[in-house]
Amino acid sequence: MKSTNIYLTSIGTGYDLSNSVFSPDGRNFQVEYAMKAVENGGTSIGIKCKDGIVLACEKIINSKLLVPGKNKRIQTVDRHLGVVYSGLLPDGRHFVNRCREESQSFKSIFKIPIPVPNLLDRIGLYVQNYTCYNSVRPFGIVGIIGGIDDNGSHLYMVEPSGSFWGYSGAATGKGRQIAKSELEKLKFDDLNIKDAIKQAARIISLAHEDNKDKDYELEISWCSKEFTNGKHEFIPIELLEEAKKFAEEDEGDEDEDEEEGEGEGEGEGEDTEMN
Amino acid sequence: MFRNNYDNDTVTYSPTGRLFQVEYALEAIKQGSAAVGLTSKNHVVLVALKRNAEELGSYQKKIIKIDSHMGVALAGLAPDARVLSNYLKKKAMENKLIFDKQIQTYKAVLSIADKAQENTQGFGSRPYGVGLLIAGYDETGSHLFEFQPSGSVLEYFGAAIGARSQAARTYLERNLEIIQQETEVEKLIVHGLNALRDTLSQDVELTFKNTTVAVVGKDQEFITYDDEDVQQWLDKLDSVSNARNREEETEENTEENTHETNNEDNQDHPTNEDRMETDE
Repeated sequence: MKSTNIYLTSIGTGYDLSNSVFSPDGRNFQVEYAMKAVENGGTSIGIKCKDGIVLACEKIINSKLLVPGKNKRIQTVDRHLGVVYSGLLPDGRHFVNRCREESQSFKSIFKIPIPVPNLLDRIGLYVQNYTCYNSVRPFGIVGIIGGIDDNGSHLYMVEPSGSFWGYSGAATGKGRQIAKSELEKLKFDDLNIKDAIKQAARIISLAHEDNKDKDYELEISWCSKEFTNGKHEFIPIELLEEAKKFAEEDEGDEDEDEEEGEGEGEGEGEDTEMN
Repeated sequence: MFRNNYDNDTVTYSPTGRLFQVEYALEAIKQGSAAVGLTSKNHVVLVALKRNAEELGSYQKKIIKIDSHMGVALAGLAPDARVLSNYLKKKAMENKLIFDKQIQTYKAVLSIADKAQENTQGFGSRPYGVGLLIAGYDETGSHLFEFQPSGSVLEYFGAAIGARSQAARTYLERNLEIIQQETEVEKLIVHGLNALRDTLSQDVELTFKNTTVAVVGKDQEFITYDDEDVQQWLDKLDSVSNARNREEETEENTEENTHETNNEDNQDHPTNEDRMETDE
């Protein structure tokens, strides 16, 4: 899916001009192009630790006229469920609206909050449907869904193709390469949620290297039995400040001893559209 | 010759993940005349430059009242703005009927954002060709949102859309702190008009005919000033024409200026063709 020879094999053959069309070697190019839209958007990550989940994103600030603290990118789907996404932001709203509808419909039938895997089943089907017809286009986002249910905490990532996987640490968007390599270093079994918040801030700050010429605002939310009573909420401002400070201090150290690897960074997309 | 195959509809991504039809819709906003919005703690002001298709014709309405606490300014295809503002009015009334209170600005704005997004993901409809600035004052204070045809909605302290709006944004950015501190609505309007003035092309001036002003805020229902009522605000400006010593001229600006040098007599009569009614 991330092959670099997309341009050589697809353009001019006509198989990439319409959704729902297979190329002779069995690829659906429009879905792959949708993934490209995601890869230019601001970074989003999710961490599952032993006592909850943390979602975080890098919100690129294109103008100083924007109101700080508004225009949130992390959204709550149900009391126990949060979503963050990278890519085309309006598509993200569509995605979240559908998630909400599915949670509500589940609740109205079964009278209990939707278990996270059930939501993913449903939303995966919905997203997949947008790859099947030439009258629609696939979602231009990758969504990271996290939440707590009776079986504990869950973290999933949904792609434009409709496929989804469970993760301990998930990353998408422009800085995903750096974020992934940082996530891989974490020991998820020992991580408590307050440390996970700090790590999230640090990882977003590192991943911002790929988009360094622009300012960003950090958004972090969490879902924990102990601290939020199983609800998905934005973290309190003190925790956010603490996490930011941690990230800053850590970055100071990083600069001295190592240079971080670089991402792909094929950024020519419209910045108004994606971040 | 190179041809862009990926820009025929909104359901085709380009190989780099862009949606050209949506980006072209954003261009339609720039065909419309400028609108500027700005906020202080207790007030939101919208100002806009109206165009008339011909000298004897009336001026295009640029500001639409939605409810007593909310209104929009538009740039781009005016008919599309009517569709969206009717939808907003409907949402505002529904909210009153169901909750017995006025709709919150963000809620109203997100409803048209979702509506616009639908038009970008399905075949057979086009994205809206209009940008809106939505001003509202509700129990959470004053709010200004910018709506785009892509379905993106962002909250700003100050925003400008339409032709040469970059100049207005520059003004707003430079004076952001002062504007935010402003407690008097009169001064806020003057800042708005100053920003709008920066978007003017060479031989156009702000007049009571081509300028429209709207205010909403604390203890102030949404009110629009047109025609003679605008003069009181224009009188507060040091000048009604664009400052000649502007530092940077955008490309489109210089282009249009050359068009307009042969138009000497009527400042209210724009020579650059008004494309608001066309389907290009």
